[in-house]
Amino acid sequence: MTAPTLALVVDDEAHIRRAVRNALLEDFDEVLETGTASDAVDLAAARRPDLIVLDLGLPDRPGLWVCAEIRKWSIAPIIVLTAQHSESEKVRLLEEGADDYVTKPFSPVELLARARAQLRRARMAQMPRDDGPIRIGDLVIDPGARTVKRGDANVHLTPTEWELLRAFLRDADRTLTHHQLFRAVWAASSGDPQQYLRVYVANLRRKLEPDAVRPTLIITEPGVGYRFELPG
Amino acid sequence: MDIDSSSRADARPPDTPAPWLALGAWLVVLMACTLALWLFRGEAHEAHMALAYLLIVLGGSARHGRLVGLGLAVASFLCFNFFLLEPYYTLTVEDPLDWWVLVSFLVTGAVAAQLFHRTRRALAVAEDRTAEVRRLSALGAESLSVPRAVDAVDAIVRVVHSELPVALARVWIFDDDGSAPRLLASAPKPSARELFPGDARSEIEKGHPVVLGPDGVVRPSVPGSDVPAVLSANPLARSVLIPLRVRERSLGVLDLTSERGLHFDRDQAVFADTLSYYAALAVERVRLSEEVEHVEALREADRVKDALLASVSHDLRTPLTTIRALANELRATGDERLVVIEEEAEHLNRLVTDLLDFSRIRSGSLPMETGLNAAEDLVGSMLQRLRGVGGHDRVDVTLPPGDLLIGRFDFVHALRALGNLVENALHHSSDDDGRVEVRVSREGDTLCFAVLDRGPGVPPAARDRIFEPFQRASTTDHAGTGLGLAIAREVAEAQGGSVTYHPRPGGGSVFELRLPAEDLYDLP
Repeated sequence: MTAPTLALVVDDEAHIRRAVRNALLEDFDEVLETGTASDAVDLAAARRPDLIVLDLGLPDRPGLWVCAEIRKWSIAPIIVLTAQHSESEKVRLLEEGADDYVTKPFSPVELLARARAQLRRARMAQMPRDDGPIRIGDLVIDPGARTVKRGDANVHLTPTEWELLRAFLRDADRTLTHHQLFRAVWAASSGDPQQYLRVYVANLRRKLEPDAVRPTLIITEPGVGYRFELPG
Repeated sequence: MDIDSSSRADARPPDTPAPWLALGAWLVVLMACTLALWLFRGEAHEAHMALAYLLIVLGGSARHGRLVGLGLAVASFLCFNFFLLEPYYTLTVEDPLDWWVLVSFLVTGAVAAQLFHRTRRALAVAEDRTAEVRRLSALGAESLSVPRAVDAVDAIVRVVHSELPVALARVWIFDDDGSAPRLLASAPKPSARELFPGDARSEIEKGHPVVLGPDGVVRPSVPGSDVPAVLSANPLARSVLIPLRVRERSLGVLDLTSERGLHFDRDQAVFADTLSYYAALAVERVRLSEEVEHVEALREADRVKDALLASVSHDLRTPLTTIRALANELRATGDERLVVIEEEAEHLNRLVTDLLDFSRIRSGSLPMETGLNAAEDLVGSMLQRLRGVGGHDRVDVTLPPGDLLIGRFDFVHALRALGNLVENALHHSSDDDGRVEVRVSREGDTLCFAVLDRGPGVPPAARDRIFEPFQRASTTDHAGTGLGLAIAREVAEAQGGSVTYHPRPGGGSVFELRLPAEDLYDLP
């Protein structure tokens, strides 16, 4: 028996709030609503929701401010609703601490799927982590032993590819921006290797994915970054 | 504008009395001197007395010029002879040596007076030049420092009008768009709308001054003759139009007009030529500042447009979200019409996105972030995106085996282009089983993404039009936004690529997206 789950929806449009609430009620026991940034921070502090859906265009303060405020003391996943379709805006959101974003107009089904994934990821992160092998289909990744096997065959990864895979696994199911990935893998170096990130991802896919053109593990978020999706 | 506009310096200072008065005063001095010499005429030598007179002649010449000097010389000669040389009180001279003294005296006096006169004239000319230089430098400094460029032109025109024998001085500017010359400044102020003599422009563009006769008709001028020559040689002209040139280009005209003819001496003509150069610089300044204003206005318009696009984008999408959410919610009631509402809302959203993007591309304000990207990743993302709208399972991908194909392009925009081409191909494949092929290959310096379908193809007459916005192959086709191919071509070209069409052998279409390829060696 798990504890009751609570979501907070922050949007100044009552219709959108209602639609989001109705979608989330499929998975959450209770959904709180508010239309202002200051109420959002107060409610988040008082009720400690498991997930926050946050609209960026709030009347009193910018949505990003809410994001930064809540991030000071909470690791609850934040899904941002944005009317901006620019990739640079999405990158900024992720780097400011948002876990995911949904662009308007979104379908409630899509939002619920994202909410589920974020909730599951947050729960996984709270569980004690072992460095035991991870099984994905016929692929076995053993971070402790630094080996990857497909069936009985060993898959050889270069040191850089290993670092990249470890960065993906640390934040599985979360979109990492190009910059975040670069910092994780090439923290010490600077400059051009960032350019090669896309090439390394392509190489890693060829080694891990059955069909590199139809990837199921490493998903591209065009213009933003990559997400490692664990099946299940 | 405080340009000193008093008339040109006169040879005689204003406080000097008229020559006749001066001559009278000096004659009194002469008489006094004669009286003194008369008292000692027995003891004094003729030469000493002549020297005393010479001093008076020199003094008169120096103070009052040649006329007074010569008058004094003659008077001294007469007094000397009459009162001081024997026989006294006659104008006859006994001693031939006395003749020598008298003649020498007269010649010396006359020469001295002449020399003084020349020096004074040279001095006057020098003062004139100094004043001119001072006025021009003041004019230049003011032209550069006035806050509005057009004020400088105005000041120059006023100086031309006050300093030169013209009834009307005007400056016209030529605009780059070839419209009629604009009147920039006029002294005196124009009373009515003035028209530029139209048939003079072509000569002025070539850099030749143009002379208008008393009838206002252009008179042929000798090619190559300079401005001062033209000005001083045409006393009957009604107008002379001086081209204002900067860096071998005629920017406008200095128009000097006088109904009674233009009577310029050589100095005035040179002065007018110099002023025309200042006027040219001032007109150039006007032109540059107008250009700056124009660029500022464009930038402001651009900013307003971006702000408008951003707000339109937000204001259109928020209600679409509500419509979609409500329709989705109500679908639980089982009304199938709500599916149509949801689909149409999505279609409207795509239309909004396409329109916004297309206007950004056209205005060049769509940001491009080109970098290294793998062809495989691009095709994979295209398939991923298709999963949302359906049809991804009808696409067959062919990638050459072996090394990764790498290009340098903006991933998001390239994805947009490729996605649009594939969606277009899927849409035009006759039935739902119609398959679309995507073949990726490296061709020299480019990556080629060929999208092939077995649809009806594009009729030859329509092939030029399909990349134009809102051009559809048939009038009954409303599924797309009508912008897909146009956007694909524009974003490809914006990053050094291309989109082309050719018919597929055996029926159907081939759209080829080409993007710059890159070679990779030694990954770190």
